Amino acid sequence: MVDQKLLVEEAKKIIAQEDVKYVIGYKKGTYGFTISPSYAYTPEYAEKFIFNPLCAKNLASYPILEEKLPLGRDEEEDIRKIGIVAKGCDARSLIQVIQEKGLKRERVVIIGIPCTGVIDPKKIKNMFPNAKGETDVVEDGDNYQIKINGETNEVPKAELLSDVCRSCESPNPPIYDVLIGEEVEPPEMEEYKNLKELEEQSIEDKWAYWEKHFERCIRCYACREACPLCYCKECMVDLLSPQWVRRSVNISENTAWNIMRAYHLAGRCVGCGECERACPVNIPLMELNKKLAKDVKELFDYTSGMDLEEKPLFGTFNPDDPEEFIL
Amino acid sequence: MSKQTIEFEPNIIGFLCNWCSYAGADLAGTSRIQYPPNIKIIRVMCSGRVNPMFVVNALQQGADGVLIGGCHPGDCHYQQGNYLARRRMAILKQLLEFIGIEPDRVRMTWVSAAEGKKFAEVIEEITEDIKKLGPMKKIQRVNVW
Repeated sequence: MVDQKLLVEEAKKIIAQEDVKYVIGYKKGTYGFTISPSYAYTPEYAEKFIFNPLCAKNLASYPILEEKLPLGRDEEEDIRKIGIVAKGCDARSLIQVIQEKGLKRERVVIIGIPCTGVIDPKKIKNMFPNAKGETDVVEDGDNYQIKINGETNEVPKAELLSDVCRSCESPNPPIYDVLIGEEVEPPEMEEYKNLKELEEQSIEDKWAYWEKHFERCIRCYACREACPLCYCKECMVDLLSPQWVRRSVNISENTAWNIMRAYHLAGRCVGCGECERACPVNIPLMELNKKLAKDVKELFDYTSGMDLEEKPLFGTFNPDDPEEFIL
Repeated sequence: MSKQTIEFEPNIIGFLCNWCSYAGADLAGTSRIQYPPNIKIIRVMCSGRVNPMFVVNALQQGADGVLIGGCHPGDCHYQQGNYLARRRMAILKQLLEFIGIEPDRVRMTWVSAAEGKKFAEVIEEITEDIKKLGPMKKIQRVNVW
């Protein structure tokens, strides 16, 4: 449970600093269980900040997306800091971006939040499809107390918890400037969903499984837009010359896109689950990401987003890397 | 009248590094070593140049298999290109296998400029393997023009 008052207080303190431009946090959405990201430019704005198990969105994508307008003749670049409210996985994605020099460490102030898992928005929407008006979610031990217009429903945590949170490696942010509350005990790590079953299937069964999913892909690229680590200025998929992936939506191009997306995140994905939450057709993208994270761990003993000083996986090598597959 | 059966002849794309494998293929040619003609060679400056997308695109455009050839570890003309390629391909093969594309369609080999014989053997082995796997239909493009 995160102390909301403490969060607001700390956020206010940070915004009040001279060298901080704004703080990004969560505020209540317009209806139902929605939560919206919120920018606080002055301490008064920070009053709106909340944190509850509904705050699943990874805010780490915002500092990178910030638009930088061309500077005028006598203008100087605004190098003030950006404050950001970060759960364990958000802090890891920030570390990964800083590692890749997408962002400078001294430009972000991280308000760390020890996280005990977030609710999957798709699951809660299925459970309460008509929830509108005043809603609130409070975590209470192994249950969630969900208040809808004054009525309280008690739901076991296991039913609503995000799938990625079950196999979370770092509920506490590995780096932070201020931590709200005490660090939490990491829960027992489980294998991600049905990863093992999938791995043991035959090649044909695997293809049948993925073909079924990739066929439904509409290539809206929401997975790319939501991902805090997909921040290339020019994505390979948008290039026209050479055109790596054609625009037609069919199984061939969809598979190529999904291979490309998953591969580009190999050794970088921190497992926040943002891509899967954003997917409008519910493709289990996290299964691909988790599988690659697992392989990277097994083959090269590498975990993404844990250490600021680490070198990128594909930019380094070890002469003793496995090479059984080489003829 | 006997019915003529047409044996499946695989299409294999080979990305060979300019300094070792391509020279090895050249040596196989000048030494007049026989090897299956199924491989279509594309010369790249280093095996580290091979983007995993090259492989996926080759499979999309009608290749039944892809071979990546580089220098032996430690012999790379650019010091470390083949080491980096090795890491990439290890992961790519895992990913392809997980998605349900036979990982044996993507092969990697170290052939030095002096190993014309090894090159011929490698091609023979790959052609045999891919003949067994059959044509690659899963992610082939339909509207090729």
